Amino acid sequence: MAGDILVIAEHREGKLNPATLELVNLGRALAQQAGGAVKVALLGQGVEAMASQVAAHAEVLLAQHPLLQAYSSGGYDQAIKAIGDAVGPRAILVSHSSQGFDLAPAIAATWGAPMVTNVLALALEGSALLATRKVYNEKIVVQVELSSDRPYVATVRPAAVKASAPLPAPAAVTNVSVSIDESRLGARFLRYEKPQVQDIDISAADVIVSAGRGIKDKKNLPLVEEFAKLLGGVVGASRPLTDLEWLPKTRQVGQSGKTVHPKLYIACGISGAMQHVSGMKDSGAIFAVNTDPTAPIFEVAHYGFTANVLELLPAVMKELKGG
Amino acid sequence: MPLNIVVCLKQVPKPDLQFQINAEGTDVKRETLNYRTNGPDEYALEEAVRLKEKHGGRVVAVTAGPKRTEQMLREALAKGADEAVRVAYDEPAAFDPMKIARILAAAIKPIPRDLVLTGVQSDDYINSLTGGLIARSLGHPHTSVVTKVEVAAPSLTVTRELEGGDVEVVQLSMPAVLTVQTGINTPRYAPLPAIMKAARQPIKEITPKALGVASWDDFATGYTLRVRKLSLPEAKGHAEMFTGGVADQAKRMAQLLREKGFYRGG
Repeated sequence: MAGDILVIAEHREGKLNPATLELVNLGRALAQQAGGAVKVALLGQGVEAMASQVAAHAEVLLAQHPLLQAYSSGGYDQAIKAIGDAVGPRAILVSHSSQGFDLAPAIAATWGAPMVTNVLALALEGSALLATRKVYNEKIVVQVELSSDRPYVATVRPAAVKASAPLPAPAAVTNVSVSIDESRLGARFLRYEKPQVQDIDISAADVIVSAGRGIKDKKNLPLVEEFAKLLGGVVGASRPLTDLEWLPKTRQVGQSGKTVHPKLYIACGISGAMQHVSGMKDSGAIFAVNTDPTAPIFEVAHYGFTANVLELLPAVMKELKGG
Repeated sequence: MPLNIVVCLKQVPKPDLQFQINAEGTDVKRETLNYRTNGPDEYALEEAVRLKEKHGGRVVAVTAGPKRTEQMLREALAKGADEAVRVAYDEPAAFDPMKIARILAAAIKPIPRDLVLTGVQSDDYINSLTGGLIARSLGHPHTSVVTKVEVAAPSLTVTRELEGGDVEVVQLSMPAVLTVQTGINTPRYAPLPAIMKAARQPIKEITPKALGVASWDDFATGYTLRVRKLSLPEAKGHAEMFTGGVADQAKRMAQLLREKGFYRGG
C-alpha cells in the first residue's frame, strides 16, 4: 500500500550486510509516519536461508533469479521495479555503500523518483521527506526537504542508525517472480578479488597511531613510526596516504580499508572524513591531533589537541622519555 | 581504437577551511571560500589522459559552474585535456544533484564519446550520484568506485572497490560512464609550457540557448527540493579539547598516556 517503505537488502557471498537491518529500523519509523509497513526486497539466487534471517525483522519479498546471483545495477533495478510496482512504496531505502550508491541512481531514474543520498536521518512530514545530511567535510549539517507524490529514494549512511530488534514472531517471506532482461544488466559481474599482501594485521593491535595528510611529507613518517613504537603500537593511515602510496593499502583504516577497535587510537593530522571515522570510532580511547579546531575528527575523539602534529609528537616523546 | 573521453569536473571549496553559515541559514558564507578541483575528479582526469595516451583519442573536460571554474578547466587543459567546456550554470549552493546531472548530460550529449569519467563523489556534498544519473540520462551502462580500467573495444573490464579492502571485477560495453576512486593513479603536475599554452586556449561556454531551452529551470526535476536549514554539528560527544602552546599540550598528552596506562616506560 501507499505508505509502505521498501528496503533493498544488500548481501555478498552469502552474507547479509548488517546495514540492511539499520535500514529496516529506519524503515519502521518511516512506515509509522506514513501509515504503512516496512518490507524488505531480497534479490538473489539460493538465498532462502537469508530470507528467513531477514524475516526475523520484517516482511520479505524474495525475488530469485539466476541473473540475480551476483549484483548488477541493471538486474537489481529491473527486479526492484517489478517488486515496487506491486508494493507502491512511499520510499525506497538503500545503504550508502559501494553497491548502494551504484544502484540508487538507476532506481531513481527508473522511477522518476526524487532522491537524496548519504543521509544520517530521515522523516516523513505529511507528503514531504525531510533528510539530514553532513556536508563540507562533515563540518556542516544540512536539512533538505523533498516534496513529491512519487516514491522517494534515499541512501542511508552505514552506522547512522541502529540495527532493528527482531520481531516477536518472524514475518512472512513472499516469493515474487521477476523476469530479467539479460541485455539490460549494465555492468556484468565477473569475479571478486581479495587483497593478497604480506603485512602486519593492524586490526589485531592494541595501539594504533594513524597518520593523515597533516604529516605533510613522506619523510615525516619515521616520526609517527617512532611514536607508535614508543607506545608499543603500529602505524595506520587515512586514505589519502595510502592513495599516495606512502603506506601500503593494508594500513588503511576506514570503510574501504580496515575496521579497527584498539585500546588506544591516535589520529595524527587526520581530518575525520566519514570514510575514516567509520573504521575507528569504536576504539577504546581516541586521541586526535589536528591544527583545525573544527575538524570532524574531534567529534569522535575523547581528547583533542589543536597542534601541528610535527611539532607535538617530538615534544610528547621528550616528555615521556624524560619523565 | 582511439577513445573519445569526456571527463566531468567540479570545483569545490577547499575542505580544510572553517565554514560559516549565512544569516538566512540556507548556505555557507561564500565570500571567504577558496576553491580547488574536487579530489576524485583529479584522478578521473588523470585516468582519462592516461587512457588517451595509451589508446589515442581525445579528452574533453566539462564542468558546470560560474566563471571561476575556468581556472580549473585551464589546469585540466594543461594536464592533457584537448578541449574544455564550461556549462554556464551558476547557482552557488546547487544542492539539487539531479538538476546538475540533467544539465551535464544535456551538455555531453552532442560530444562524441566512448567513455564518460568523473569522480566517485564530490568532496563538498558527498552525494555519490552524479555519475550514475548522467549515465541514465545518456542511456549508457555505468559502474562506480573504479580502481582499474582496461579497454578492449568495444568492452571494458573494470575493477571496482567494495568495503573492507575487497574488490570486484565487472565488464561493460562502451560507451559507458565510470566514477573513479582516488588512488587509481597518481595525478600529474602540469608542466610550465603546458600551463602557458592552456592560458591561451579557448573555453567553450554553453548557455541554456545552446542546449535548446529557455533557461536552466527547464531542467527542473518535477519535484521540489528546498534547503530548510544549515547548522553546525551538535557538540555532544565532542572531545575534551587542549589548546595553547605545543609544550603545554605535549605535557597534557604525555600525562594522559601515563594515567591511562598506555606508557609504562621510564
